[in-house]
Amino acid sequence: MRIGLICDGNPGIGACELLGAALNRCGAEATLISSARPHNKSLGWLPLGPREAAASDLLHSFAAVGVFLEGESVTILPKLHQQAAALRQREPVLLFSGPIRPLCGDALNADLLARLDYDLLCLQGDMQAEQLQWLLRGTPYEHKPISTIGLWCLPTRPVGHRQQQQPLLVVLDQPHTPPSPLANAVLYERLCNAARNSPSWQIRLQPDGPLSADPSQWPETSICWHHLHDQRPPANVQVGQPEDLEWAVAQASACLGLGSDWLLSAVVWGKSTAVLGDYGIRTEFNGPLFFGSGLMHRLADCLPLDQKLPDLPAANPGWLDDLGWAIADGPERLLRQVEKCLA
Amino acid sequence: MMDHHLLLIADSDSQLLACKALAQGLRTCNSGVTINAIPQEGTPESVIQALNQTCELWRKTTAQLLREPRLAGFSAIGVYLTGSKLAEFRSSYHHSCEQHQRRALPLFCGFNGLVLERFEEAIAWRLGYDLICLNGPRDQERMEQVLRHTPFTSQRTVLTGLSRQGRGAAKGQQIVQQQSKQRQLVFAEQVVMPSKPAERRLVVQLLARLAQRSPHWRVTIKPRVAPHETTFHAVETHISETLRVALGSSPSNLQLSYAPLPELLHQSRLLATVSSTACFDALDLGCQPVLVGDFGLRQDLGTHFFAGSGLIRQLGEAEDLDALEQGLCATPDWLHWVGYHNDFSVANLLSALENWSSEQHHTIPAQLSGYVVNASDLSTNQLRRGAEISISCRDYAEAERLLEIALLQRPDNRNIKRRLQAVRCSNRLMRRLALLASQTFRL
Repeated sequence: MRIGLICDGNPGIGACELLGAALNRCGAEATLISSARPHNKSLGWLPLGPREAAASDLLHSFAAVGVFLEGESVTILPKLHQQAAALRQREPVLLFSGPIRPLCGDALNADLLARLDYDLLCLQGDMQAEQLQWLLRGTPYEHKPISTIGLWCLPTRPVGHRQQQQPLLVVLDQPHTPPSPLANAVLYERLCNAARNSPSWQIRLQPDGPLSADPSQWPETSICWHHLHDQRPPANVQVGQPEDLEWAVAQASACLGLGSDWLLSAVVWGKSTAVLGDYGIRTEFNGPLFFGSGLMHRLADCLPLDQKLPDLPAANPGWLDDLGWAIADGPERLLRQVEKCLA
Repeated sequence: MMDHHLLLIADSDSQLLACKALAQGLRTCNSGVTINAIPQEGTPESVIQALNQTCELWRKTTAQLLREPRLAGFSAIGVYLTGSKLAEFRSSYHHSCEQHQRRALPLFCGFNGLVLERFEEAIAWRLGYDLICLNGPRDQERMEQVLRHTPFTSQRTVLTGLSRQGRGAAKGQQIVQQQSKQRQLVFAEQVVMPSKPAERRLVVQLLARLAQRSPHWRVTIKPRVAPHETTFHAVETHISETLRVALGSSPSNLQLSYAPLPELLHQSRLLATVSSTACFDALDLGCQPVLVGDFGLRQDLGTHFFAGSGLIRQLGEAEDLDALEQGLCATPDWLHWVGYHNDFSVANLLSALENWSSEQHHTIPAQLSGYVVNASDLSTNQLRRGAEISISCRDYAEAERLLEIALLQRPDNRNIKRRLQAVRCSNRLMRRLALLASQTFRL
């Protein structure tokens, strides 16, 4: 079955590369449709922007097309494709879509409301499916076909890296969270104190998303900015390169973050993981996602690093399963649901 | 049923109005109610007057209230404050009961209307109350999902419904004696829904055009607050100013009215709103609600909540108000699910309080490795108060820990910074001096 995957920028491209590879392993033929070339050269690639693709005749070469965009385009694309197909007097292609990140609560509602015009919704786990059910109850969309396909948008397959010899704590730095430069300064100072008190540990401040190659452009709301402007940073604190994110998490002995999606990859790769709980459950810090994780700790409870980090409790398995980790055959489920919708 | 006398505590205008509605409901169940309106700048005088007419009214600060000997005479205390204040009150009250060796009364809390956003955060602030009042099955299911797999699954809840005018939901559903009402549509303005100036102008324009197309009707905009009053959300441009900017001159049958909303609902045939709880007040008072659907279903506007209501209409597409009111009827299944049904009322709260015994006293387990609850001790003020207690016990390490977290939350607060520097001094004399030089925190 030929499946097209329309994406543009991150996190869409990264997620679609993972999904495309997984669909190919199930015997489908996945093609990425994006203006930027995918990293994975073995995937088919159609160099078209999202709107050109939606209006293009080429879309009819696929049995179904997944649209994994965020923002305004995600709402426009089905209308654009339907209109283009109508003008050509052809049936529109089956379009599927869903959240590209492990969203929950308000963020999930906002994301799903923009995708209601798609023929099939791909969700990650039971938690999202339940929230969609509440959202659509009593509406004409109530019986919209869905498929829960697991944590497809995050790297969760074993990567085969060995941990570093020296224990490594990867701090996932979200460049704009917390949104106050002062809050980041205080957090940076506390991490430096933790590093000084555990000299056997390396601390890597790892941007969890794109950060300018020019450090002078880094936002003051990133911890990395504060390291850059520190005249005497501890020798065991370094800044990681944004493109090394996956490697960094794979190499880590432990991961710490405020609400980064990559904390989930760390969890499923078996890393000691702590979600910084000092700010409490805050919607803007992704608190609702991690509330039931069993991973939230105050920074003080993780110190000294060498004693506390190796013994952090594992994630709550029920929570992780509800997010989608329980689903091992996501791509097969998606293909079966596509076939059912086409029948 | 035993005699109850409940104390309800609130501060902002919307919380006070929620308490007023609760008091009206409780009175119909023969319960006594006292409301304590914590003094706060900007609280509309009309709200205070309305409370005075409803029940006994106190105006005490939290500190005065905790010292009030009559507190022990109530059967339960309901707290309707914003998140961090809710947690602070629970903690301060239990602390004060321990100090004075008094029996703690059951504490309950709830929501002042619909919960359109930040539900999980709101629950995290309320955990640890003996009872959390929820609107209906929808919120109960959501809460069950939030707490599933966590150590908080035993948190007690009770469904108290969305009927707020003391009449009960069933009466409200026997909608509208249309002929006895004026051809008037009331628009219940919300301060931040929508919040973008262009969208606020669009709302006003939609109403004006509808008024023009319906010369036999009157369209009345009911501002959420008067220009000099304040509410929880800051209002950038008052709706009267939006009206002036968007329309220049308004149609003669479009007006602003500061009359109390219940009064307007009594008179009017239609209520229009983007996503206000006033929708349910309208049902209570026999006025037909219609939800403004011109912005689509959006999380940030709260319109998603009403998706299955059967009440959403596009004002821009309606021929006139006569056409708009045709066929409007709320879906009974949806009303039940969100909590507008006789199954859900304050009577449930009273039954739950009757079945409550001090053994059931709900506290958050002390050891919760891996779980953080906003309600335990995470408000900055509580952290600072905890640090002062630790300082008084000379447990400087604990004080340092608490102040470090407080500083993470309020990095720009110089007093926390100075206090933290003081407790970090290893030299006893220096520490003593630094503590004397820095400001002691008092609630």
